[in-house]
Amino acid sequence: MTSLTTLTEEALTGASNAADEPTWLRDRRLAAYKRTLDLAWPDSRADEFWRSTPFAQRLDVEREIVVGGGSVSPASFTADLDVEVAMARIVDGALVEVTVPAAMVAQGVLVTDLSTAAAEHVELVEPALGALTSSNTEGTGSGADRTITVNDAAWTAGVFIHVPAEVELDTPIVIQVHAETGGAHLPRVLALLGHHARASVYLEHTSGADTDALVDEVVEVIAHDAAQLDVVSFQQWGSHVDHLALQKVQAHRDSRIRHLSVTVGGRTVRFLPETDLVGPGAETRPLGVYFADEGQWFDLQPYVRHLAPHATSDVLFKGALQGNSRTVFRGNIFVDKDAVGTDTDENNKSLILTEGARADATPFLEIECSDIVAGHGSATGQIDALQLYYLTSRGIPREEALRLIVTGFFREVFGDVDLPGVEDAALTEIDERIAAADLSRFQVNDASLKDHHDE
Amino acid sequence: MADLEIRGLKVEADNTEILRGVDLDLNQGQTIALMGPNGSGKSTLAYAIAGPPAYEVTGGTMTWKGTELNELTPDERARLGVFLAMQYPVEVPGVSLTNFLRTAVNAVREEDVPVREFMQTLRAEMAELDVDGSFLQRSVNEGFSGGEKKRFEILQAALLKPQLAVLDETDSGLDVDALKTVAEGVNRLSGPDLGVLIITHYTRILRYITPDEVHVMFEGRIVASGGPELADELETGGYEGIRAAHAAGV
Repeated sequence: MTSLTTLTEEALTGASNAADEPTWLRDRRLAAYKRTLDLAWPDSRADEFWRSTPFAQRLDVEREIVVGGGSVSPASFTADLDVEVAMARIVDGALVEVTVPAAMVAQGVLVTDLSTAAAEHVELVEPALGALTSSNTEGTGSGADRTITVNDAAWTAGVFIHVPAEVELDTPIVIQVHAETGGAHLPRVLALLGHHARASVYLEHTSGADTDALVDEVVEVIAHDAAQLDVVSFQQWGSHVDHLALQKVQAHRDSRIRHLSVTVGGRTVRFLPETDLVGPGAETRPLGVYFADEGQWFDLQPYVRHLAPHATSDVLFKGALQGNSRTVFRGNIFVDKDAVGTDTDENNKSLILTEGARADATPFLEIECSDIVAGHGSATGQIDALQLYYLTSRGIPREEALRLIVTGFFREVFGDVDLPGVEDAALTEIDERIAAADLSRFQVNDASLKDHHDE
Repeated sequence: MADLEIRGLKVEADNTEILRGVDLDLNQGQTIALMGPNGSGKSTLAYAIAGPPAYEVTGGTMTWKGTELNELTPDERARLGVFLAMQYPVEVPGVSLTNFLRTAVNAVREEDVPVREFMQTLRAEMAELDVDGSFLQRSVNEGFSGGEKKRFEILQAALLKPQLAVLDETDSGLDVDALKTVAEGVNRLSGPDLGVLIITHYTRILRYITPDEVHVMFEGRIVASGGPELADELETGGYEGIRAAHAAGV
């Protein structure tokens, strides 16, 4: 087709027509393309939101956009679960398979191709698609950014999900995004939950072991009044995949959102889980676990905007690092002047396992309203020697004790997350990384040990 | 040769000598009380036996059934049957009590105990020690009261079935009911296969567990040894007599 830097109006029009997209969608793509032309690629020295990832050094946009799909059938951790899930599979730039259980179909649930839905469900898709990205909002963390507008213009594999009002799903909707062919991948997801609907959406991101790719992803979710939504995003890429992810949720009155990310794979991952709390009493809990190893750079930017009264947000990200790796937690909570009764808390904790790893944390609060409760904090530390001693003094070998402590460190994040298979799959991913690590290089902080003996 | 034989043991922490040549014998089936004022080195000896990373053994020998303990890591010592009930048990967030205990039991027995069998034993021991079943889901020692932590230490001993149990100030901070429960727990474990070293400042635990021998430590050495009657003397006279005798160079 074309590359991220050589997009043309003709190419976009041709692709849109080939997919039988309606005129409104083609026009919207072209409008986004025109905005793209006005924007430069991010400059990490100048753009506050890009300081935490050196764009020019770590990301290569001179890539052909991958289209056409592939026949790879990546494994899903949900395959082992005793539940019938809805499954949408994106492979190499195309939606290659969609399976929806009959029970969901009977309840009016849609999981379908976004281009098709744009024509067949125009009343749902047209007002929502791009509503949360730079297409029609300005001034958000992710606004007016070429990495977003380029997806708005040229996304190649889209999934549309609609869970009608008052439909409560007990089993997840799974979207697999798989990159096998090198190049630029532009997946897109739009999910709508009607009032009092309940659903969980799992995103599983995988690639070939040697695939060299840039995945520029935009996910938009609108949760209407009192909807309950879980978004779970697994980043399990191979070590040559860069991932830019904007996953933005709009939370209406009394809706409850949990947004859990598990980031273990990829080369550079810039992950933006954003929530706009637009209705009173809405609640969001952006949660994250991550394990960074040699050569990996994770830039995690949970962003919550309190735009209505009495809404709640609780951010908790925990990560472990080893080897020459780098993580940045750049959380931001914005509280609008009218958002009285806001209750917000934001925390990041990192465990540095070996020398050479570096974790930065800046939990921001931007508060324009005085009548609120807000807390934030961050901590970076090492494995506690006293905990290690206690476990080994019970006969547990050092390596197993280290594994227990590191896994235990992450468990706090899962708290009451009762989603089938998620905690096990996440901790299995982390356990595999620990198992592959050279545990003899793990650094242990013995300050607690000395304090203990002084008692 | 005694099962536990300590000869001339010297231990330093932060370049300060804490143990200055300790001799002690303990056999399986025996219960010995080690008493002494604060700072005398009792707890350091406890850690020296169990394998402490922050202490340095600078002299002497310490063998368990002929094996030199000083050369072994804490987990190796535990697998030989050494158990330390700690004065301040450590909180390990995110590691469930069940997972911890099962991992430890499997490590010490060097086999995978079937889950069903393990859980039955665990529940039975918990009932004996009056530990609520809801503890199984909690993280190791996290949010436990002082008494709960001590009971949990004894619960671990009951499951790990050590041959040498060192109880470091296990009585401190316990109210009298909790003290009785813990002491009964220790007595239940006692038998011909278990040697117990009770380290205590006060004599109150010795009202419920009768030692075969009592030793008194002062300034890093054992300065007095005797039978249970020595504990009674300390009960009435305190450590002043020992302090004074030591100051006088006796």
